[in-house]
Amino acid sequence: MPNTNKKPDHDRDGLGEIQRKFLEMLEDGRHAFDAAANALVGGTDPDAIKDDLFKTDRRINLTEQDLRRKLVVHGAVHGMNHFPLLLVLMSLAKDAERIGDYAKNLYDLALAKPWLGDAEGRREIVVLKDRVSRALVRARGIYELEDIDAARAYLAECHQIEDECDELVDEALRLEGHNAAGLALTARYFKRVVSHASNVITSLVVPLDKLDFYDEG
Amino acid sequence: MPIASPAEGNFPAYPPRPSALGNAARWLSLGALLFGFLIAIELMSKAIQMLAGEGLGGGSSEMFAGIHNPFAGLAAGVLFTVLVQSSSTTTATIVAVVGSGALSVQDAVPMIMGANIGTTVTNTLVSLGSLSRRAEFRRAFAAATVHDFFNLLAVATLLPLELSTRVISRSARWLAEQFAGSGGGRFDSPIKSSIKAAYKGLLYLLEQLGLAGPSLATAALLLGIGLTFVSLYFITRTMRHLLAGRIERAMNRALDSSGVVPILIGAVLTVAVQSSSITTSMLVPMCASGVLSLNHAFPIVLGANLGTTGTALIASAAQDGTDALSIAFVHLLFNLAGLLLFYPIPLLRRAPLALATGLATLADRSRLWVIAYVVGVFFLLPFFGWLIWHSH
Repeated sequence: MPNTNKKPDHDRDGLGEIQRKFLEMLEDGRHAFDAAANALVGGTDPDAIKDDLFKTDRRINLTEQDLRRKLVVHGAVHGMNHFPLLLVLMSLAKDAERIGDYAKNLYDLALAKPWLGDAEGRREIVVLKDRVSRALVRARGIYELEDIDAARAYLAECHQIEDECDELVDEALRLEGHNAAGLALTARYFKRVVSHASNVITSLVVPLDKLDFYDEG
Repeated sequence: MPIASPAEGNFPAYPPRPSALGNAARWLSLGALLFGFLIAIELMSKAIQMLAGEGLGGGSSEMFAGIHNPFAGLAAGVLFTVLVQSSSTTTATIVAVVGSGALSVQDAVPMIMGANIGTTVTNTLVSLGSLSRRAEFRRAFAAATVHDFFNLLAVATLLPLELSTRVISRSARWLAEQFAGSGGGRFDSPIKSSIKAAYKGLLYLLEQLGLAGPSLATAALLLGIGLTFVSLYFITRTMRHLLAGRIERAMNRALDSSGVVPILIGAVLTVAVQSSSITTSMLVPMCASGVLSLNHAFPIVLGANLGTTGTALIASAAQDGTDALSIAFVHLLFNLAGLLLFYPIPLLRRAPLALATGLATLADRSRLWVIAYVVGVFFLLPFFGWLIWHSH
């Protein structure tokens, strides 16, 4: 059972470098999400974050490619020893990369300055955004520590956020008198970002074939 | 098969760092394996001398009579290496045979070159793992056979030159004399004395089994070959385990490097794991996936060829005189000359690359090319040499 109190001791191994790259992707994904979501719901000028956002997304893409190369090299050097873990990391890297993509979608939405509800509704969206951002920060920490108990609690919370996002989409679809497409898309993108973060954490608690599918029951 | 429930936390976890105690034990066992390897060389060498003393088949030098034919020598080197799947075992055996005086340095040169060709069969076989995926197979097969073509071209160029001028063997002998001269008392070192004591102990054990005369010599020879093979196998395994992290970092660096750096990486890795096949076989999946291009893999292969000469040099340390060291230097000089000939000059560098790419394209169209190539180079070619040897 992995140690849940301190950082696992595999730094010098080639997989340690691969893990560091992956954690960088998660960190960059959170940064990109925060920047884009603040432009959409927090009042930040989209032009002010554009360069940083696109640079971060490009860095995420390049890190993913570098990570894939490193996975191939690791497989070539170690043979079949760590084969399941390499498959998992290949899948997780895609999840981390998608977070960057959704951040760009949020930025595109911010440019359109959509209607996101009345004052109360907007406050709820801001709260939701902060929860998603915190979920991204926690995903990185839980994955790094391989903390299984925290992973289960985290996945339960992610499901809760996803449910709230779904409810928001339903509300948006039923709204009359406003163009609620922006609201529906915002909730949908938030849900996808959380889903990709939770996919990363499922790798700690389910076997390889069940990756991305976590049933709390 | 039951699927683990989430509660079990059954995920493919990161492996833990090896314990310091485990690593220390591996380094110690490595020292013991190296010692065993040197004993094996000494045992082989002395067994061949014993066979000569017993007048078996008219003396052991008679055993190698057909090897005077360079093609037979070349074929013997290829065949022995293909059979034992290790050029290190072949070159170490050749060092022992030359050290025993049963084979001259000049006659052993084609055998050393044959070992270079024979060792490439391993990564060619590795590349066949991609046979069912066309694009991947084309890249993998080209990566594997570029080593073959380099060695074939190097032999085709340097063997006639050596036969007509003896430039490689003469240079090697000169180098060996310089080293033996400057080495002072290295042949009387405590390690050397321990090796002699250990080999005498092994001979004593064989005698206790009731062996004597030619049967004792034959048993000692077989034991020497077996011990060489086993010790090299475990040296490679242990080093690969101990240095896996460093090997991985070096390979990652090799992806983006050019010029002399990948050559050095290939050479250092091969010296470390004592097997060029290990180094070149690692390149095959990297090339197959497209992560490493053939042009980038080629200098690493050349470095591996250089690095593999370390085994013969280590083996020669157990031998008296300069002959064993000379043949070890032949291996080094041959690979160095091949590298200097086929790497710096762009036109010549393109030759093995073009041949490997061309054969991979043909192999992609028809798998018969793969069969024809493997059977032709690694079995028919040495078989004809064997026929020459035995018709002598």
